[in-house]
Amino acid sequence: MSTQVYVAGVGSTKFGVLPGRTLQSLAVEAGRAALRDSNIAPARIGCVFVGNFVGGIMTGQELLGPIVAADLGLSNVAAIKIEAACASSSAAVRIGHDLVRAGAEDAVLVIGVERLTGAPRDALTTAMTAAIDQATEGQAGLTFPGFWGMVMARHTHLYGTTREQIAAVTVKNRQFGAINPLAQFQKPVALEEVIASPPISDPIRRYDCCPATDGAAALVLANESLVRQSGSPAVRIAASVLVNGPPRITDYAEITIHDGSVLAAKRAYETAGVGPDDIDLAELHDCFSIAEIVDSEDLGFFAKGEGGPAVVRTPSANSKVVINPSGGLLSKGHPTGATGCGQIYEVVMQLRGEHPNQIGKARLGLTHNGGGTAAAVTVHILEAVR
Amino acid sequence: MTLEGRVQSHTIIRVPDKAHAAAAPFVLVLVELTDGKRVLGHFNRAEPPAIGSRVTAEPSEQTPVFREEAT
Repeated sequence: MSTQVYVAGVGSTKFGVLPGRTLQSLAVEAGRAALRDSNIAPARIGCVFVGNFVGGIMTGQELLGPIVAADLGLSNVAAIKIEAACASSSAAVRIGHDLVRAGAEDAVLVIGVERLTGAPRDALTTAMTAAIDQATEGQAGLTFPGFWGMVMARHTHLYGTTREQIAAVTVKNRQFGAINPLAQFQKPVALEEVIASPPISDPIRRYDCCPATDGAAALVLANESLVRQSGSPAVRIAASVLVNGPPRITDYAEITIHDGSVLAAKRAYETAGVGPDDIDLAELHDCFSIAEIVDSEDLGFFAKGEGGPAVVRTPSANSKVVINPSGGLLSKGHPTGATGCGQIYEVVMQLRGEHPNQIGKARLGLTHNGGGTAAAVTVHILEAVR
Repeated sequence: MTLEGRVQSHTIIRVPDKAHAAAAPFVLVLVELTDGKRVLGHFNRAEPPAIGSRVTAEPSEQTPVFREEAT
């Protein structure tokens, strides 16, 4: 017998350059905030899942599950780390969701955490490329800016997407980030600055890239009975989907269509009984500016090739969905292992009507989080409960 | 047998990982071979070829190095 699953509480650190902070301290800060927000007694938490990508490589710290659980005062729980590259914590949400839905646990705590700043750029690039198949494409020197540079060049070639349309994604998300107190970048940027920024992996330029970020975000997931007892302002998880996509660029039939995103969205819409036109806001995995355009097409908000023109039209002219009102990865930042929980945090705050950048009254929100070459993809659909 | 195909896309890696630091900047090309398989390779010039152009490379245990087919 299955039950409905709710996000009963959320917590987050600021995202940004946070010198002196450890993975543990960030995770504990976010975890404590989520527990407090949920109004659920810590003794009711059955499991702690910590989403993290490169903690071992960047800081030398592994075994985050038991360490973070102990520092939170949660003893006698099952606590483990989950890794799915940049989708680590949203993959952990899927696992926690399934345990609560199946009745195996009444409540679980899911935390995403990462520390990426302070290391030399080549060390960071090397850590990130751990999510590229090292036996093949890593050997060739492919990086993630390189992967998305190829996607951008081909999207431009096939659909006529312009440099200005792609740069407009960064401009839009910087404007949103400027009014999100948790965002790493809180200063708008001009279209000309994006286009004139230094090349990283042509045609990708610096301002097409999300920054390296430190941060943590946490969610308490709980069943209906516990949510009613706690009186917390819960948001229902209408769909929680995790699928695999091609793990190598050469596995793609067409690199401008990300099969994992298409499949995850299809399953999520079917599970929730809604379609893309019903979604009020979406937090998409805009690790690069072109990624938001590709994602918005793969998730059905726009037809393939229409994502570029849609960025520079007014929202009311093409779709009601507001994309990345948090500022997205481009502005809020991308602490890889924390990003998935951070996206859900943002949507929950919007659905509760409590976000500093409130878009208006929203009923349905969606998050899309991709790991590797969109090789591990999650889509969550969340519904306001009023 | 020589690898032959058409360029699907390309990039110039300017910020490499540690293992490729000495080689940067370098061009990567995604090539669809005549048998339909796709291969990631290097390109023998500093500027990438046009998408759709025909390229060839000698088979290699390492990453193949493509060049534009003589017309």
